[in-house]
Amino acid sequence: MITVENLNRSFPSGDGEFHALKNVSLHVENGECVVLKGVSGSGKTTLLSIIAGLDRPSSGKVLVEGEAIAKLPDWHLSQFRARRIGMIFQHYNLMEHLTVEENVMVPLIPTGMDAETIDRQVDSALKQANIIHKRNTSAARISGGEKQRTSIARALAADPGIILCDEPTANLDRANSLRFIEILDQLHEMGKTIVIATHDPLFDDLPFAARVVGMEDGQIADGDLVERVESRK
Amino acid sequence: MNPILLNNQVLIYLFSEAILFTLAIIAFIVAVQIVMRWDFGAFTQRQFALERRAYLVMTIILFVVVMKIFLLPYFVFTVDNLSVLVPGAMCAAGVISANGYGLELLFLKLLIAFMLILWLALNRYDLAAKDYPIFRPKTWLYLGIFVLLVLELWWDVAYFTHIDTHLPVSCCSALFGQLEGANPLPFGLSRPMLLVLFYLLYVLVLLATLAGQPWLVLPMLGMFVGVAYYAVVYFFGTYVYALPTHKCPFCMFQPEYYYVGYLIWGSLFSGTFLGATAAIQRLWLKKQDISWERWSLGLLSFFVLLSSGYVAVYYCVHGTLLEAV
Repeated sequence: MITVENLNRSFPSGDGEFHALKNVSLHVENGECVVLKGVSGSGKTTLLSIIAGLDRPSSGKVLVEGEAIAKLPDWHLSQFRARRIGMIFQHYNLMEHLTVEENVMVPLIPTGMDAETIDRQVDSALKQANIIHKRNTSAARISGGEKQRTSIARALAADPGIILCDEPTANLDRANSLRFIEILDQLHEMGKTIVIATHDPLFDDLPFAARVVGMEDGQIADGDLVERVESRK
Repeated sequence: MNPILLNNQVLIYLFSEAILFTLAIIAFIVAVQIVMRWDFGAFTQRQFALERRAYLVMTIILFVVVMKIFLLPYFVFTVDNLSVLVPGAMCAAGVISANGYGLELLFLKLLIAFMLILWLALNRYDLAAKDYPIFRPKTWLYLGIFVLLVLELWWDVAYFTHIDTHLPVSCCSALFGQLEGANPLPFGLSRPMLLVLFYLLYVLVLLATLAGQPWLVLPMLGMFVGVAYYAVVYFFGTYVYALPTHKCPFCMFQPEYYYVGYLIWGSLFSGTFLGATAAIQRLWLKKQDISWERWSLGLLSFFVLLSSGYVAVYYCVHGTLLEAV
């Protein structure tokens, strides 16, 4: 479960501040899939980064599986993130000099798991993401779709309960985007809580998405705002 | 210009102290702001800003703590090196007693070292939890340590600037030697009783720590370190120097004795400080820090073995003790 209450995030900008998030409140139940729709600069990535523990808010509460993650000391936050959250990034963030298997393995190393468990988890993640046939290939030599599947495998490696996707199809063609959505459907079937930040129209009518939440100018859009966001496409 | 202040080691030492003190001031200023307004349960902009600053402050303090602990043996090394400039001084003993500041400064440094190790232990405990349960007491402890750091810096400068290189000082044989008929040991203890007490207290510290009785460990450690000082100066040290009349806690820091003083005194004080800190954690936080207890026992055991080893080796080589125990 994810609960966000009155979240604000500001960045210094010139003489003043830029408010990336303004009093955002959101609730995602366990096993739900929620799509955050909005144009670039609406605050989707900032919100997702805070939920993922990659950033801390200026004020407000963020509860992820009951933990106030914005309050956790650094070491605890890293452990929480490593075990409970899987993140899929827009630009994949793979280490090009490592193989597919090594990229998937890297996040498990600081969790303290033994080697046998790590191998088992990595195998399972590679199979789920349908990239096991490329396990020994360098990440620099795989296609965009394969890179995206590698980052899905990496996100699944620790078997987290929450999957966060930040513009996951921004660098994929339509065919690969649809394949990605199929994998998301499988993850939803497995009971994962999924939050997707995107402006891709393919996510407008996902059958397994519980809700589409519009974001505009750092705020959650109400009904009228959702229509305005939609009408801008 | 006082040649003491032109000495390389003194310059390095004072410069290092000044840098660390500057960092300590920064940490102090931020720590005061944090401790006055800290409210971990709040999700306000102010509290999040305080938590970010707290992380910075703890990092600075951690750096200062570690460097200060390294500077303590360097202080002893520096003072020992000054013995060539101070007439009459054969080792750090004479230099330390060159003015009224030296001995008090040394005791202050030992006190600060203990407080810093205590802060380290509390910080470790605090960061292991998710909600900084002892953030305020830990920060107040640092504020108290800062006051001692101010005193220490003033005392450092006063000490080094008041060493007169024209005034002879007493050497260790005059400072620690026995006047005819006089007993330098406290409470009229004889040397055999001192040794019995030394080994007995060591065993009691060991047993009290293993039995998890911190209320016993603390007083035992306090007594042990006092008895150990006299045991090293008036018994074990004579075997380090292989001379029954050479009684000095400082000569063993010199190269002709292979700098063994750093090992002997270092293991005694670090073992004592770690043990006392672990005992305080047990009493106050109800938490057993097994690794610190083990390190404490290991260091104290090393100290006892090393000190006793000199006697054993002398006896094995010469077939007799230096003088009747």
